[in-house]
Amino acid sequence: MVVGVGGVAVGAEQQAAAGAARPSRREVARGLLVSAAALALAPVVAASRPVHPAQADGNSFDETYRGRRIRGVLVPVAGRRAADGEWRITIDGRPLHLMRRADGSWLSMVDHYTSYRTPLEATRAAVDEIGPRQRLRDLAPDRLGGGHADGHSGGHAGGHPGGDADMGGRHGVRA
Amino acid sequence: MAYVRKNVRALTAGERRRFVNALLTLKRRGEYDEFVRMHIDFYAADGEKGLRTAHMAPSFLPWHRRFLLELERALRRVDSSVTVPYWDWTRDRTTTSVPWTKDLLGGNGRRSDRQVMTGPFAYATGQWTIKEGVTDGRFLTRDLGRSAAPLRLPTRSELQWALDDPVYDAWPWDSTVRKGFRNKLEGWGAGSGSASWKNHNRVHRWVGGAMLGGASVNDPVFWLHHAFLDLQWYRWQRAHRRHRYLPAEPPRASDAQHRRVVARHQKLPPWDETPDQLDDVSRIYRYA
Repeated sequence: MVVGVGGVAVGAEQQAAAGAARPSRREVARGLLVSAAALALAPVVAASRPVHPAQADGNSFDETYRGRRIRGVLVPVAGRRAADGEWRITIDGRPLHLMRRADGSWLSMVDHYTSYRTPLEATRAAVDEIGPRQRLRDLAPDRLGGGHADGHSGGHAGGHPGGDADMGGRHGVRA
Repeated sequence: MAYVRKNVRALTAGERRRFVNALLTLKRRGEYDEFVRMHIDFYAADGEKGLRTAHMAPSFLPWHRRFLLELERALRRVDSSVTVPYWDWTRDRTTTSVPWTKDLLGGNGRRSDRQVMTGPFAYATGQWTIKEGVTDGRFLTRDLGRSAAPLRLPTRSELQWALDDPVYDAWPWDSTVRKGFRNKLEGWGAGSGSASWKNHNRVHRWVGGAMLGGASVNDPVFWLHHAFLDLQWYRWQRAHRRHRYLPAEPPRASDAQHRRVVARHQKLPPWDETPDQLDDVSRIYRYA
């Protein structure tokens, strides 16, 4: 067990910091649920428009890239400016998590050590890296169900309910 | 007494075997995958909100130092003779040099699906099934040198460029800062393209496959790479004795980096230790 080794009692202040430092699985799971809901609607919209040629405006894209269906949509978030919504992205229906750099560029879960100018570029780059016959792993079951005997979650989380309410999504996406 | 971390090329056949066996034991027990998850969980980017600890932050070095110590302690519970070796990628630069040998980490991924087919971490051995991967592939992948768009490992002079900077880190303490040892070593450059991948980042990209993604810990070379980076921190400290970890104090409330980075005397999550306490580990280990 990872944290058991360094597992030490931490003060309340530190717990809050620890909370801010790691993504809440609940938060991630919620993002995926919203994502799933948004995408459930997407096929209805998508059916009424051609998949080819690729289409991309500032707020969405939907194309087949190297045999993979990649879709992304900027979903408005209540209380924020339109441009500050959240990008929901899938490759062949599986969610791809993007993160944003301070310079405005984007990096994906697949490609964590390089960033790209746009969500579309980051998504295409992720396709480039995913091997043939492989699909993105759907992390939702683990994140939702606590399916792991997840020792370290209990360990270093040290209990921080709501501790990261103010954090950006980790592998969820916040523009 | 401090134990010694060695250059992986200097390990004897017996030391190689014991290092590999200890890793395989942690994997079999499920402990190894906890490390993979932890690294995924602590990857926070600087364009979002919240505290950054492991990447795009001053604590990149102490966070990984502590992370390596955690792994090393687990390895040494299995076999007390084992320490984490380092891979000097300024010296061992080809796809067939150490550590890419059958008695260590195995070789490159095959062309068709990048699956590692040789060595103790090949899927067919049944000892290294990927459980916490970014994709649903159950085998370790590598694309050494990046076949589709080849790049080279960082050079000795690129590493030296980082070591020569006397300042540890500078405001805004993130991936956009152009000066300071930390980001020159971590390797975030401007924009996209080859110029933007330096030192640490560039090595992740050169190895490719699992090492490129959030679950990079799945490739054991992660530890050898980060041990070498940890050695660079030690070398930097020796070269610039009047300089230390920055920021010394937490950014003020008016600062955009307020509560976004860990200052010298603040606890570094998830551990109960500060960068200051991780500054000198000479009583625990040293490098040979």
